Amino acid sequence: MKRSFLPIITRTGLSFLSALLICLGGIVALPNVAQAYPIYAQQAYDSPREPTGRIVCANCHLGSKPTKVEVPQAVLPDSVFKAVVEIPYDTDVQQVLGNGDPGPLNVGAVIDLPEGFKLAPADRLSEELKEETAGLFFQPYKADEEGTYVIGPIPGADHQEIVFPILSPDPKTDPNIHFGKYSVHVGGNRGRGQVQPTGDKTNNAIYTASVAGKIADISTGDSGATVTITAADGDTITETIPKGPQVVVSKGDAVEAGAPLTNDPNVGGFGQKDTEIVLQNPTRIKWLMAFFAAIMISQAMLVLKKKQVEKVQAAEMNF
Amino acid sequence: MAKVLKKPDLSDPKLKAKLKQGMGHNYYGEPAWPNDLLYIFPVVIMATFALCIGLAVLDPAMLGEPANPFATPLEILPEWYLYPVFQILRIVPSKLLGVLLQTAVPLGLMLVPFIENVNKFQNPFRRPVATSVFLFGTAFALYLGIGATLPIDKSLTLGLF
Repeated sequence: MKRSFLPIITRTGLSFLSALLICLGGIVALPNVAQAYPIYAQQAYDSPREPTGRIVCANCHLGSKPTKVEVPQAVLPDSVFKAVVEIPYDTDVQQVLGNGDPGPLNVGAVIDLPEGFKLAPADRLSEELKEETAGLFFQPYKADEEGTYVIGPIPGADHQEIVFPILSPDPKTDPNIHFGKYSVHVGGNRGRGQVQPTGDKTNNAIYTASVAGKIADISTGDSGATVTITAADGDTITETIPKGPQVVVSKGDAVEAGAPLTNDPNVGGFGQKDTEIVLQNPTRIKWLMAFFAAIMISQAMLVLKKKQVEKVQAAEMNF
Repeated sequence: MAKVLKKPDLSDPKLKAKLKQGMGHNYYGEPAWPNDLLYIFPVVIMATFALCIGLAVLDPAMLGEPANPFATPLEILPEWYLYPVFQILRIVPSKLLGVLLQTAVPLGLMLVPFIENVNKFQNPFRRPVATSVFLFGTAFALYLGIGATLPIDKSLTLGLF
């Protein structure tokens, strides 16, 4: 009893110590990585939107899932409004975490606003907006640029709807801003990615056979599995599968090159949506209302005049 | 209902001859001038103007992204009225066949004036073949057009099956 008890303590202690060291090292070396995975995109891409219109999150979050966005049809200059990004998913589903254990999904979102639009400062937020954005930290995609913001990863269970508080620009104070309609690009993600920034697969991806051959051996350990494939020319290739994906082949199976060795553990995905918003001039609206009133009065006058003429026609029997 | 209504003068042989041929309906009813042309036309014209200007102010046209020949958008779609023929091009496996089928659409329409007089009747119920072809063609164009906006794997079933 005693003899078996002691090594366990040492082992847990050692692994705890190493985990602590790795964490500390990570915090010292890469202060942002532990906080936000959009940092990967921020480091690799100048803009979150490629020239083709694709938002770069889709390069690592390979699953495709719907994302919805709600913005007002039109906003007045220098006003605060909200853009609501909906990232729906089934909260009963669990994903594979970095250590291979199942766990809850995180969500994240990116918003690319038209020129001049930016995140509303805290002192402009209404009580309602303050409540809705409580605890959310929106980060500019590029440190010195406004107009593109990322958030996440944040727990998905209570953030399937992310509210971005946005301040519209004022063409009066900034001559580069004009009234008109502009496009807003939004991306929403749930769950972990499938590709590391280095191009390697994460343990949330499907693993495939690199050569055609026969499965010679499968060994499953604490940190994952290794699958040994004997190719047709006699070479043996070892595929290392991290903890997370379930091996679906068995010993003796023949596999094609590229055939899946594991299931697809990914339950999340990324979706993007483009929408439009009008920066509306309040004086234009006032004049439009006046114009509509004038039109309606003229129409009513014409109809009344017609009725009057009809009376004369009827009296004179002149038609 | 307009109050001022002219009765048809059935003693006029000219009008009777026209009515017999299904014409001459402008000889009776509400007078066009000035009741309709002078008073109601401007009402309609002004309403049309108001609607166009209202839309232009409230929902202005957006300046799109500058064209970039080196970056094809991920989802390409033509103007809405080209959706059905775009869908033909998209679902037919061979591009040549797709182009030929697209050309067949205006060619088929060109044939209509030459074959529509096979049946002398104008009433749609008395020319069942033409009517069925028209209705089927309309429904099929709508089906193709809706399919064009869906991802390719759903575009044939419209995602319903």
